[in-house]
Amino acid sequence: MKDNIRLVKALVKLRFERVMMFRLGFFGPFFVDGSLFVIQLLVFQAIYSKVDRIGNWGQGDMILFIGTFSLINALNMSIYFFGVNSIPEKIRTGEIDLYLTKPVSPLLRLTFEQVNPGALPLVIFSIAIILYGINAAGADVTISSVSGYAVSVGMMTVLFYELEVIIRSLAFFTVSSDGVLQIEMSGLDLCMQIPGTVFYGAYKFVFYYVLPYGIIATYPSLILLGRFSWKMAAHEGIVLACFTMVTVVMWKTGLRRYDSVSS
Amino acid sequence: MNVIEAEDLTKVYRRYIKPEGIKGSLKGLFRREYEEKAAVSHVDLCVEEGEFVGMIGRNGAGKTTLVKMLTGIIAPTNGSIRVLGYYPNKLEKRFRQQYALVMGQKSQLFFELTAGDTLHLFKEMYHLSEKEYEKNRDYFIELFGIKDLMDVQVRTLSLGERMKMELLAALLHNPKILFLDEPTIGLDAVAGMQIRKYLKEVNRERKTTILLTSHYMEDIKSLCGRSVVINHGTKVYDGSTEQLFERYQNNKKITLVFDSLTEIEIPEAFAGKCRILDDNGYKKVYEIPKEDSGGILEYFMRYKPRDISLDEEEIGKVVERIYSDVRVRA
Repeated sequence: MKDNIRLVKALVKLRFERVMMFRLGFFGPFFVDGSLFVIQLLVFQAIYSKVDRIGNWGQGDMILFIGTFSLINALNMSIYFFGVNSIPEKIRTGEIDLYLTKPVSPLLRLTFEQVNPGALPLVIFSIAIILYGINAAGADVTISSVSGYAVSVGMMTVLFYELEVIIRSLAFFTVSSDGVLQIEMSGLDLCMQIPGTVFYGAYKFVFYYVLPYGIIATYPSLILLGRFSWKMAAHEGIVLACFTMVTVVMWKTGLRRYDSVSS
Repeated sequence: MNVIEAEDLTKVYRRYIKPEGIKGSLKGLFRREYEEKAAVSHVDLCVEEGEFVGMIGRNGAGKTTLVKMLTGIIAPTNGSIRVLGYYPNKLEKRFRQQYALVMGQKSQLFFELTAGDTLHLFKEMYHLSEKEYEKNRDYFIELFGIKDLMDVQVRTLSLGERMKMELLAALLHNPKILFLDEPTIGLDAVAGMQIRKYLKEVNRERKTTILLTSHYMEDIKSLCGRSVVINHGTKVYDGSTEQLFERYQNNKKITLVFDSLTEIEIPEAFAGKCRILDDNGYKKVYEIPKEDSGGILEYFMRYKPRDISLDEEEIGKVVERIYSDVRVRA
């Protein structure tokens, strides 16, 4: 564990050094990611100018939900997205070969090799929206609900990561995983706008168990809103445990099946 | 003591046979035919500690596949394999700490940064103490003569300079085995010669076992006491490099360059032995059995060429000759 922390620190340091080699590369993402964030906010404003409630989620609840999704997404973008996203390309080109010969977990290295400081301001923006949402929803916030929220956000950030790794590990087994990436994108788009509790039937099954994007921002938000149940807590824990197992199995099986590419 | 022990090692790939055209593509959607291709077939290999072994073979012969199996990148389809007492594809951390791989066509350095920056990451990866790190780094910087290049962005280095950095990064943790997959590919003569000199030094001074694959005769001849020849995934020769070339490198290539159009008449004594490979009047390339090369060279001197070069026969021909010999004997 200590060794892994030292490695992660070295990777993050190296990434900062790499990003800072090019000034535009360092400052550019702040503007790009910031603009995307503003666009996302405008979309929600447009929706809520016409609608008062979605299910039993009022406007304040929804702002909190959006802020939570943005926070998890910002953590994703800052820490591991670019590293994990490079997995299929590295498998296809055989670039992963040299990762396998080093005495560190290739997945750990890939995860932290391309941290993105440009997305860090989004974390701060997201926290601002969450605070605004709490206020607008009139939520009764206590130390225990904030702690529970923080733990839940952490768990859901890990779940988000695992879903990304699972989908990208498909490149070990198929020539192209582009179709699945599109499903991921569409699922995310939908679940960023609608809380999971609003889904029912097949949608609920898909977004609660198969691609559980439906719970990613919903459960942490419900903790702050005081509507989180023990049943939901159990579901959150079980889903995370199951997807952790699937991720490990998928990655290890992928590595065993990996045939590299011709030189 | 053997550091590499492989027996009956086989790697089979399954390839989709796609019939030509759109009809073939459509058919492939519903019913596919595959063929099995053995990239490496029933190879036995033992390498002793401290040996410098060269692996020769044409493109696609299976050299790189063999190296990938020995380093654990891919799993063998059949056969047993132990490297430093480990099964490589289990990818145990302790195993990966004890070897290094340098691939001429893939880089382990971060191109935007300096080699020194990458070395810091490797220091953490291999848990090197500050003292050990500095000692090894300084040793190789001195040996390779790259002190001035340590603060230069990798992407601005020449190919030869970059290869020295790759070697430095690979040797930093003092590996017991160094796998080199075509490390001199694309290098000019001077850079290739320097790399060979350093590798010789590393093998001699540090007792590092080195397994080298190369297309270049010079690499194998000047570095490896032992050669393994691979053809179509099968080992066709395993033994002394000197004997290999003595026995199978039968010809020399002579290139003559003239200032004016020159006609050369091959004397009777060499007729039938001397083969013209290229002739544009100004430049002539001949292939001649090596025992006759001295004699014909003396004869060519009468035409007063501006430049003469005497080259070894290319590796592909030697491999082909060994392969034919093995087939005939079989």
